[in-house]
Amino acid sequence: MALLAYVARRLAYLLVALFGVTFITFLVTRRLPGNPAALIVGVLADQSTIDAVTERLGLNEPFWSQYYKYMGQLFSGDLGESWFTSNPVTTDIGNRWPATVELASYALALAVLWAVSLGVISALRRRSLSNRLADALSGLGVSVPEFWLGLILLLAFFGTWKIAPAPLGRTLGEIPPDVTGFYTIDALIAGDWGAFRSAAAQLILPTVTLAIVIGAPLLRITRGFMRETMETGHIRFARALGIPRRSIVLRHAIPNVLLPVSTMGAMMYGYLLGGTVLVEVVFAWPGIGSYAVKAIEHSDFAPVQGVVLLSALSYLIVYLTMDILHFVVDPRTRTHS
Amino acid sequence: MSTMPAHETRPSSEEGDLLDMGDPLAEGDLLDMDTPLAEGDLLDVDDPYEDEDFPPLLRVSDLAVGFSGGKRSTHPLTPLQGVNLSVEEGSAVALVGESGSGKSLTASAVMGMLPAGAEVLRGSVSFEGEEILGASEKHMRELRGSRLAIMFQNPRASLNPVLTVGGQIAEVIRVHEDVKRKESRERAVDLLEQMGIPNPGRRAKDYVHQYSGGMAQRAALAMALSCRPRLLIADEPTTGLDATLQQQVLELVVEQVSERQASLLLITHDIGIVGRTCEQMAVMYAGRVMESGPVEEVLGDPANPYTAELIKSYATVRHGRMNSIPGVVPTLRGPLVECAFADRCPKADEECREGVPALRELGGQRGSDERKVACVKA
Repeated sequence: MALLAYVARRLAYLLVALFGVTFITFLVTRRLPGNPAALIVGVLADQSTIDAVTERLGLNEPFWSQYYKYMGQLFSGDLGESWFTSNPVTTDIGNRWPATVELASYALALAVLWAVSLGVISALRRRSLSNRLADALSGLGVSVPEFWLGLILLLAFFGTWKIAPAPLGRTLGEIPPDVTGFYTIDALIAGDWGAFRSAAAQLILPTVTLAIVIGAPLLRITRGFMRETMETGHIRFARALGIPRRSIVLRHAIPNVLLPVSTMGAMMYGYLLGGTVLVEVVFAWPGIGSYAVKAIEHSDFAPVQGVVLLSALSYLIVYLTMDILHFVVDPRTRTHS
Repeated sequence: MSTMPAHETRPSSEEGDLLDMGDPLAEGDLLDMDTPLAEGDLLDVDDPYEDEDFPPLLRVSDLAVGFSGGKRSTHPLTPLQGVNLSVEEGSAVALVGESGSGKSLTASAVMGMLPAGAEVLRGSVSFEGEEILGASEKHMRELRGSRLAIMFQNPRASLNPVLTVGGQIAEVIRVHEDVKRKESRERAVDLLEQMGIPNPGRRAKDYVHQYSGGMAQRAALAMALSCRPRLLIADEPTTGLDATLQQQVLELVVEQVSERQASLLLITHDIGIVGRTCEQMAVMYAGRVMESGPVEEVLGDPANPYTAELIKSYATVRHGRMNSIPGVVPTLRGPLVECAFADRCPKADEECREGVPALRELGGQRGSDERKVACVKA
């Protein structure tokens, strides 16, 4: 019962937040310089043609009336039409979203794998090699911009050693039959190893780039909380009553650390799902990040609004899911005495 | 010559006594900071109990612990300067002293859980007749929680927030005894009941945030006593609890320990609770035991001026005035060369600065032969 009330309250917050996001993105895109009507009709068109297109698009109407129309469309599931691709935005996003989600999910999985395990190990052994490695990798991750790291990896593995494939999108081989939209998974479903290999090969470098960048703060948080937890009274008491080290670490300490670490992981996933613009551009990854960049270049309002809304929504949903999970798992919120 | 036995000397250095007076650092071989403990040192300890037929359950002899503070540190700390303490089978002993006197560090050394950077410099800790100082971590882990247990202050921090209270007690039982999960759970509930926790079956499934401070300390006591240890060290068990609960929890600790015919080492800075709980007491100051003996004799007729000052300051606090002992507890860098209390002691004179007074039997008309004091003026 407490859980239902909690979820209902959180969903209400989520709607309010989304409403705010639509307003702000609408306001910002309308304030961008340049008249999209002029861009649509081209440089050779005369003023009357431009005016006609402006009229047709409703761009000459007052701001509030435009916003009202936009919200009306939104509630019927219509994100508008891209002037540049002349597709409905929902179609474009539908095509590109799986690319972003696939990359984001592999990057998060890899980041959690290396950062959490190294964080735990280095917290347990101060002044060890693992600790120095953790310092180096987390320092690298937080201080190096992700596009630069991506370029360096490309230069090394594609340019110099030629062991990575050319950064030309999601696959250089066959596109597997569409089931989930994730090429690696679809290839496995189709049992096509060749397609899986070429899709996986394209994923490796961008995944590693993102995993290093988002793993760095994850590592620091894990190490910090783990060190703190190992110093707490309950760990000392458990040791003083002969609980073996294995259980101290796995059963007594790590569950206490996973709560804050998973919150951080959720934040990172939300960030990745919003489209990692720079990495998508570097690796010509056809996700929603690169889609948004092209749309901004062409004053294409509808896709920008659509992408921002989608990233806000995915961020909020990931966060909400994590909070609900904590609510269920953490005894301190689950049981109120 | 009459004061000579009052100073700590080794039989081997008898002839050098006069020289030692002028150069107290010649005692450096007793407290050598630079050389870690060698095997033989553990056995080569002044043992005032050597010819006893029944060794006490716990005996700490001449225990010195220092913090090296890393290779570059020029100021190593030596918080324990030769602690002598014993706890007889079935008795309750209070270890009393100001903050920073080394009480908790002594307990950590006994448990084999010294903080990082701390190092045993010399001395011996024997438990059930067995030397446990320097025993392997594996051996100590088997001992901890089964034969030798400890509980700390701030009970709510002593229990894991994400594990059930009953589950934590049951795990201690399963670690030390070969029992099924179900049986360990049942025993956990029984223990909670023995500690006076109402509705123990349901409370075992609760988490520590659902417990009050007093209940949490009862649960921690259940955990510490779950495998019937022979000795319970209670390190300030009532500090941080409401005044009304302190008495209850203290009584419970004493009652449960004596019901199991175990021994209690109660560490406290509150001299006021000693009389109600323990038969024996030891007073610590600056890493040494200043005086020990039966509680009523020590409190009624303190032989060490430090004990007298401590009792006086306690009495004035109770009457709403603060009459603290002038000066502060010294920070101990390196071995002591004189009585550590000399700077603050109303009775101190030149004699007190001639060496570190050994803990010796008080003798004479004052008190029983269990009484010991480390003061040349006593």
